[in-house]
Amino acid sequence: MKFSSLSAGIAAAVLFSAPLTTFAQQAGSAANSALAAQSPKPTPKTADGRPDLNGTWATAGGISAVFQSQKKEDGSISIKGGDQYYIFTSKRPTGAGARAYQPAAPSYKPEFLDKVKYLSDNESKTDLVFNCGKPGVPRIGPPRQIVQTKRDVIFLYEDMSGDGYRVIPIDGRPHRAGLDPSYNGDSIGHWEGNALVVEAVNFNEDTWFGENGYFHSDQMKVTERFTRDGDAILYQVTVEDPKVLTAPFVMAPKKLDATNEQLEESPRCSDQDGGRLLNNDHHVQR
Amino acid sequence: MRPPIFAAFALLALLAVSVPVSAHHAPSAIFDMDHAFTMTGQCTSVDWVNPHIILHMDGKDAAGNVAKWTFESNPPAWFKKAGVSRQDVIKAVGQTVTVEGLRAKDGSSYGYFLKLTFADGSSVEWNSLLDQALGKKSE
Repeated sequence: MKFSSLSAGIAAAVLFSAPLTTFAQQAGSAANSALAAQSPKPTPKTADGRPDLNGTWATAGGISAVFQSQKKEDGSISIKGGDQYYIFTSKRPTGAGARAYQPAAPSYKPEFLDKVKYLSDNESKTDLVFNCGKPGVPRIGPPRQIVQTKRDVIFLYEDMSGDGYRVIPIDGRPHRAGLDPSYNGDSIGHWEGNALVVEAVNFNEDTWFGENGYFHSDQMKVTERFTRDGDAILYQVTVEDPKVLTAPFVMAPKKLDATNEQLEESPRCSDQDGGRLLNNDHHVQR
Repeated sequence: MRPPIFAAFALLALLAVSVPVSAHHAPSAIFDMDHAFTMTGQCTSVDWVNPHIILHMDGKDAAGNVAKWTFESNPPAWFKKAGVSRQDVIKAVGQTVTVEGLRAKDGSSYGYFLKLTFADGSSVEWNSLLDQALGKKSE
């Protein structure tokens, strides 16, 4: 692939002046108007009049936006950027950088706070994803490809634990009885106006719903909303778990852009350096 | 005036990362960030795997004898987004290559490579971090 330079597009400055909770309360109608202002194209509909979610999607603002690589005549490649992908210093981030690295936390019941801290402080030992385990829902993130029929919506994922899928009945079928708990749970979906609402239950307890030791019980319920406007989908997630949380945890929404990038099988996962960590967490050295 | 949802949403879009990174550790938790080092030897294999690509090399130990060295770098998807293909790296196999990188703090023959120079003199390097590390080179 020949190129002279990839433009950065967006500066990678981490500015967190807006509190995260404000837009969390403005889901629904605000989502439509927010997307409409950014993407004035018409929203495709299926034959039965529903928004058409078919396609391959990429989370907006991914790391490709912050590379400025150059290829030289001798074939050398000089990669610039991509720094914010890692905390590549010996110091803990402070100020705005620290707030960005630790966004608003879920509200655990007081009796579980020590457990969350222990899991987070010892993440390299306690987090199954660290050793190529399955992230489950919602930690796997939004799907890379959506296939929509009248009966089901099918989500296809790229993930280093092994690219997975979910089949979501949208024809009114209820949750399945007698199903064993699983990483991705048991999902059903329905339409609320222009939003596809997916509700998943029946999870095993191997997973976290977020990186910092955010464990859950078998009572976790994950609700995802997919609202298409033009060539973008607003992806919103709420986690409820009455056993361990005092309130639903509304996650930061993500914007998905339509992309021509076809799915690619993820390379196999093999953790090589976990045994070389000098402490059990995964953050910068204290 | 735009409602606050726009600003917050745009800011979050900057941080969204499409590369699998959940649970991943900071390199500084394993590698000595302050001292870069150089190792030359024959590359015996490259594993294009998650969460780190791996390069195996017959390098040298402190006494100058041939010793197996292993270097890791970022995930395959990161390289792809950065404009570096698998082919761009695996051509090192069988060549005498030079690696500039950071040592594992545990003293093992393991490092994190920031620059890989092939037999023909061309290279793949992560410039931003290389400049920082070379500023504090140990040898």
